[in-house]
Amino acid sequence: MRPSISPVLASLANVFRIPLSQTTLRPTIPLLNQQTATQPSSPQAQARAPFSTTTPLLKRKSPYIDRRVTLIRYFLYHPLTPRPLRFSRTRFLRHWTIHRAWQLYQANRRRNHQLELQRQWQAMNAACEELRTGAGDGGKLFRKSMIKTRIFKDMFPIEYGRMQTEGPGEGWNHEWKRVDKPVKR
Amino acid sequence: MAASEPSRYLARSLPRAIVPAARSQGLCWRRHASDQAAAKPSALSDLESDGLLKGTTTPVEAAKSFDPVARARARKTQLPRSRYQFRSPKYDRGPLHPHRPPPPSDPSSRLFVPGPFSLSRVDQTHESTIASDILTLCYVHNPPGFKPPPKAPRLRTWDDSSPYHKNRSLRGPRGGDVLRLLRKPITFNNIPKLERITIHSYVKNAAKENSGWLHVAGMALQAISNVKVTTYRSKTSVAKWYISPGRDAVAAKAELHGEDMEHFFGKLLDIVMPRLKDWPGVKGTSGDSSGNITFGLEPEQVALFPEIEVNYDMYPPQMIPGCHITLHTTAKTDKDARLLLSAMGVPFYGKLVD
Repeated sequence: MRPSISPVLASLANVFRIPLSQTTLRPTIPLLNQQTATQPSSPQAQARAPFSTTTPLLKRKSPYIDRRVTLIRYFLYHPLTPRPLRFSRTRFLRHWTIHRAWQLYQANRRRNHQLELQRQWQAMNAACEELRTGAGDGGKLFRKSMIKTRIFKDMFPIEYGRMQTEGPGEGWNHEWKRVDKPVKR
Repeated sequence: MAASEPSRYLARSLPRAIVPAARSQGLCWRRHASDQAAAKPSALSDLESDGLLKGTTTPVEAAKSFDPVARARARKTQLPRSRYQFRSPKYDRGPLHPHRPPPPSDPSSRLFVPGPFSLSRVDQTHESTIASDILTLCYVHNPPGFKPPPKAPRLRTWDDSSPYHKNRSLRGPRGGDVLRLLRKPITFNNIPKLERITIHSYVKNAAKENSGWLHVAGMALQAISNVKVTTYRSKTSVAKWYISPGRDAVAAKAELHGEDMEHFFGKLLDIVMPRLKDWPGVKGTSGDSSGNITFGLEPEQVALFPEIEVNYDMYPPQMIPGCHITLHTTAKTDKDARLLLSAMGVPFYGKLVD
């Protein structure tokens, strides 16, 4: 039943959006109340429509969807490419200058690294040539050193293959011996 | 290109007397901001207010003599517009088109991705240790003046035993039609390097049950790779899993390049691989014989990635996907790629096949 209030209060409630009835949460209940209040129910009617607080929408079975999946779907959506950078003149100049400077720095670094590798290669070349001709053993040591078959079979030992860290680590363990061959499957 | 656009505007706006000085100055035809700064500081000082870099103290007489309105009136030509108006065209219409998009390295390009913002351990280790190690290991000495004997052509010609051989296209190599990549001896300029990583996950339940499986798989891949995934439809029919070609999106793939790739590989090496239980390593027969190595991870192994592990409750546990990880290297053969990966710490087991 709707509580009777003065029209002034009702208009105020309307302005401040205060609900006067409790229909917001469960719309079936006041309707049912009104029905039962106005017309007394007969036992046949009760048998035909038994009392229930469940709305038909709630009664309908829906496939169970994990809330986590719903959340993942929500966060998975992302609009496509953002628009390109658009700056004012001064800001773009500043941005471009820094960008160019960084690219130049990177190129210099790459080039220095390349030159370092080239120097190493040429040093190896000179050393091998010396070993081949000037070692005095007829080039036997040189020929031994050029056999590369085991390199691609054994590869790097797994103890050696690790990413570098800041410090020197625990150092070289001279007592260490390889335990056994790796597992064959 | 577009990067030189503002400087072109500048040159147009500056008085004619100043501009040729920059041209005659350098050997190179490209003008850089750093070259021009010293040449004409007075003209550029109108544009670039370096108040950001220096302090805000202004001498009083300079403040009194500062009259922007009078300066603007005294200026004969207008300065370029304040708003940078260049918009990169969306499509590249070929080298003959007058208006082409700038290269992706340009900040004004639509494809520009800023960064890299960090120097990853994988990159540093490769640069400081692995590159020179591989260079030394793979060094093959040729005496000065040595010329390798000429090899037979890879595509064979037809012997003219039949008149029908005329104008035929060349025959493929012996023992199969596959033309392998050419492997050149490794020297200082072609040391193998990690090029890109592909993470691929085939979700078979995505067809039979709901699409949530694919969404969760995509989210997991995105979380561990920091790259947006793309989904793919099935090309084959698998009746047992209710998958039919072209209908069901069943796979998600993430392609990692550059910084993302190095961070992912670092996590894989340092955090995930040491904790895999009963894992002998990557199979020695893996690889496509052109330098790309693939291995797979089970769902519980994917869950070991730190991004998933710290947030494990946000994924339905049975929906976490397994995946195939392909390590694409610049090596031309599998043995070189394996040498590189073993130097980085990836274990291999079993018979090695090239």
